[in-house]
Amino acid sequence: MEAEDRPFPFDIMTRQYTRRDVLKGALVAGAGASLAPLLAACGSSNSPSSTSSSSGPKQGGSLRIGIVGGSANERLDGQLATTEPEIAITFQLYDALLGWDENYKLTNLLAEEVTPNADATVWTVKLRQGVVFHNGAPMTADDVVYSYKRIIDPKNPKMGATQLAALKSSGIKKIDANTVQFTLDSPNSVFDEAMAVYGNTIVPVGFDPKAPVGTGPFKLTSFSPGQQIVFAANTEYWGEKPHVDKLTIIEFADPTARVNALLGGQVDAISDLPSSQVKVVQAQTMKVLDAHTGAWQPFTMRIDVKPFSDVRVRQAFRLLVDRKAMISQAYGGYGWVGNDMYAPFDPGTPTNLPAREQDLEQAKSLLKAAGYDNDLTVTLTTSDAVGGSAVAAAQVFAQQAKGAGVTVKVNKVDPSIFYGNQYLSWPFAQDFWYTRNYLAQTAQGTLPTAPFNETHWKNAEWLKIVQQAFKTGDKAARDQLVGQAQTIEQDQGGLIVWAFNDQTDAYSGKLGGVVPDKGGVPLSSFHFNKFYFV
Amino acid sequence: MPPLLKLILRRLGLGVLTLFLVSVVVFGATQALPGDPARAILGKQAADKAMYNALRAQLHLDRPLYQQYGIWLKGIVTGNLGTSTASGVSVVSLIKQRVANSALLVVFAAIISIPLSILIGALAALWRDSVFDLTTSVGSLALASLPEFVIGMLLVFFFATTVVHIMPSVSRIDPSISVWGQLNLLILPVLTLVLAVAPYISRILRASMIEVLESDYVQMARLKGMPEPTVMSRHALPNAVIPAIQVSALQLAWLAGGVVVVEYLFNYPGIGSAFIDAVNNRDLPVVQAIALLIAAVYVIANLTADIITILVSPRLRTGLR
Amino acid sequence: MSVISQDTQELIPGADELLPEPQPGGAHRRREWVDIIAGSLKFGRTRVGLVIVVAIVLLALIGPFVAPHSPFATGIAPDYSGPSAKAWLGTDGIGHDVFSRVLCGGRTVIGLSIAATVVAMILGVALGLLAGYSRPAVDDVIMRLLDVLLAFPSIVFVLLLVALLGHSLWLIVLAVAVTHAPRIARVARGATLEIVGRDFVRASEALGVPRRTILMGEILPNITSPLLVEFGLRLTYSIGLIAALSFLGFGMQPPAADWGLMINENRAAMLVQPYAVFVPVFLIALLTIGTNLMTDGVSRALIGIDRDTGAK
Repeated sequence: MEAEDRPFPFDIMTRQYTRRDVLKGALVAGAGASLAPLLAACGSSNSPSSTSSSSGPKQGGSLRIGIVGGSANERLDGQLATTEPEIAITFQLYDALLGWDENYKLTNLLAEEVTPNADATVWTVKLRQGVVFHNGAPMTADDVVYSYKRIIDPKNPKMGATQLAALKSSGIKKIDANTVQFTLDSPNSVFDEAMAVYGNTIVPVGFDPKAPVGTGPFKLTSFSPGQQIVFAANTEYWGEKPHVDKLTIIEFADPTARVNALLGGQVDAISDLPSSQVKVVQAQTMKVLDAHTGAWQPFTMRIDVKPFSDVRVRQAFRLLVDRKAMISQAYGGYGWVGNDMYAPFDPGTPTNLPAREQDLEQAKSLLKAAGYDNDLTVTLTTSDAVGGSAVAAAQVFAQQAKGAGVTVKVNKVDPSIFYGNQYLSWPFAQDFWYTRNYLAQTAQGTLPTAPFNETHWKNAEWLKIVQQAFKTGDKAARDQLVGQAQTIEQDQGGLIVWAFNDQTDAYSGKLGGVVPDKGGVPLSSFHFNKFYFV
Repeated sequence: MPPLLKLILRRLGLGVLTLFLVSVVVFGATQALPGDPARAILGKQAADKAMYNALRAQLHLDRPLYQQYGIWLKGIVTGNLGTSTASGVSVVSLIKQRVANSALLVVFAAIISIPLSILIGALAALWRDSVFDLTTSVGSLALASLPEFVIGMLLVFFFATTVVHIMPSVSRIDPSISVWGQLNLLILPVLTLVLAVAPYISRILRASMIEVLESDYVQMARLKGMPEPTVMSRHALPNAVIPAIQVSALQLAWLAGGVVVVEYLFNYPGIGSAFIDAVNNRDLPVVQAIALLIAAVYVIANLTADIITILVSPRLRTGLR
Repeated sequence: MSVISQDTQELIPGADELLPEPQPGGAHRRREWVDIIAGSLKFGRTRVGLVIVVAIVLLALIGPFVAPHSPFATGIAPDYSGPSAKAWLGTDGIGHDVFSRVLCGGRTVIGLSIAATVVAMILGVALGLLAGYSRPAVDDVIMRLLDVLLAFPSIVFVLLLVALLGHSLWLIVLAVAVTHAPRIARVARGATLEIVGRDFVRASEALGVPRRTILMGEILPNITSPLLVEFGLRLTYSIGLIAALSFLGFGMQPPAADWGLMINENRAAMLVQPYAVFVPVFLIALLTIGTNLMTDGVSRALIGIDRDTGAK
């Protein structure tokens, strides 16, 4: 069949491409002496390391990743990244000034040195030298200033703008070609964490999202929104250069399809492996990447409506949960117990508080004191949109609550309703969060200015402590304040943080460089430049 | 004007009228019922008065209902199906590829099921009361009872998961590879559709064939010494096939709706699964467009079946009302 | 004109064209459908169908009372474990006992289907009688409007309504009933037209008997036979449609135990826990085959002589 005879009306490649693609895939899988000439012909810049048995990382190859599906209106602008595909794209094309390593510790990316002043209102950032954008232009302070002004632009604020609320356009200054200074309206001792948000990408002056240019380890080759994105290695990358030449990220809305693609060899790794499929995947000699993260799916109780306005009811509800059983039933065991405190990796989070276990008797007596004697009925609103196991956890909670005479009606609603205009008004619901440290999380979820305060948390004493913590530059002192704030929330808050879920992904045995990442972003936080074929 | 032509034109006219009424129902079901589409679309952001009013104006919600309908209808006729609220792209661009994908399923299903059913029905009639006849009869009855998703799941059970593992259980098409290289992904969905419609066609053909074989015309041909194969091919089959043609056209119509559940089950990227997604996302423009499309196919297929009937059925041609 | 276009979903040869010769006088005729049902039981297939349906209905009705565990209890055994002493068919994704959920999962499917079919029959018969026994103009208008409804495949129409009004059970029952009503109305109308022309009806009219009395007393009893077949067919399709709606996520919601919902909930894990998916699949399949077998038996009895085999 000639190229002109393409079956109407499919958008297909010519037959030659198909054959070449298959050959490349087959060769990468099989390895062997003939790798070199064919790869050279296909434009690879590295010659393969050896033809002997798989010991070290091989250079070259085409990496294919299957991730959770997005939609047709995906964007290539990292500063707007919200869905999983968009986040994956962001990690390939761009860098922020700082980042998080796999142990959830801050690490320098495009910044070389970050220095706050005494009261954490002025932050001076010295930039890394020799970084170039994909178009060859060097990254300078002008680009950083442009990028941050773009993020906080009041006419078109980007994803990271809320966390940068204390930063105004006039506070972003270029000191010299390699130094930028941020002056904040109010002190923020953890401003460096804000700079580490993956969405605060550094882009060149005059950035056009339709032809995206960044400093990231991969360059964009092609983009089919909602379906797949193709990248080529950035051989001038300042960091760990990609081991593979080509990267294709394919989107799968359906988890079964995603798993089948891995098992069938159409992709080399997938994100978000459902716990039910772990055994299936392992039976076929694939590997499961299980990362203990700080991601959490709390039950949220609004403290400003009945019955949760009574703190005794909130405390009782926290005692209803048999946490280990819920992890085992809802997460298939892929999670670790939470003690009603978020930010598990924050050094200020207290570790000496007694572990909260299910105590139905105590719960019953608290409820009775609050006026409910085996007659409390609540509606728990949930949705698949909260995450794969949220509905399961809700059902388990309903079962466990029965033991204390509490009737929980599980109301599963569509995603568009759950996150529609009633979101944040549900008296009793669930939600999902990724790993953050304490202060960063309060800015998102519990401060009066937080955009997502599901529990409508308000506490004057707590607020004073947290505001003080934001001003405190000294780490030890800040940790102490964080500990105090955590303790108040743990005692009186409206969140039931019963567990932190593992991030489970799966990958083929042919891949190396895949490490678990505590931050909760799948597949080693999408650091595909670190992956290689063995 | 010859009465035959008049009859056909009348039927066509009624078809157009039905299509028009269908469009009213689709519009009514999605836009005329109580509920504020603008609020549903904006969700949390509906609190922003400027955005809310802008969206209302954009969706023409400030105009009287009949005007909204007129605007919508005009859009449909000129090829503008609106903008998807879930993804922000034009509905046409969203469903173009999917319409093609679903058409592929339907065409394959039709190409396989129609000849297959005619063959089975003819043989069953020819070998009446044989084991073949009884088996296919019971089999047809069983298949005709089953909902399509059950047929699909049974196929998955037998061929993809539990009994043997030779088929993929999900049919996600890779857009960068030619569909002809992925035909194995289509086997189960097409087979499901075939098994869903084949029983009806083969039953009709069998009944009609039996009637024809017992007719005077055929008996006469046999008495005249005509060899059996010639009897079958020249007299029996052509006459028996007529009702089967009607049924086939109607089954094609049914397939337009049958793809909805089958595509969802196999995760096949066609208009059926797009419809389910759109309903889940309350993406009303897409829901309207696909519902209208499927209904239009249904009406046109019915129309075709009727016109074929008129043309080939001498009784109706002469006995016109 | 609408007589030409027959929907072939239920093209049982000539069901609506063959009526037993109607007799004047109402009470006498009411026994006819009893005769037909009795006659249908002479066929092997009807008996097989009856056994299947009764078995499954009993399972669905009694199941909840004999289930070893509550269908909502989680953690009976580890997630996705195989058959064991505690959970005879193993557990699903949150440790529910699959066997108990299977026993409890039939009630909603069967109950909702029967409700939808009954409502559909009432609507359809009323409309069909009206169309058949009114002026041609009224008849045309009614049938034209019903044709419009027939232009939508059932599932598309139901989902169209769900898209706007959300999914609630009464809406689904009503929507399914509305999709079936036109087809029932067509059969009822055809049967009515047959009767209306008969002498005894004309005689009653001439005597000045009110139309409503004629409708209820003389026409309705005479059309019950083909309507029996319609009821059986509609019930079969209602079961399929309602199970499909739960399968798609628009019917019963978690944590309800419902066969259609179970099939979808557990699909992702069917390699690991096949029972939770395929036992409901087989049960729904058997149920619909059973109802259709019975319907086929009744329709054969109606035709009188079994045209296909030449035997009675």
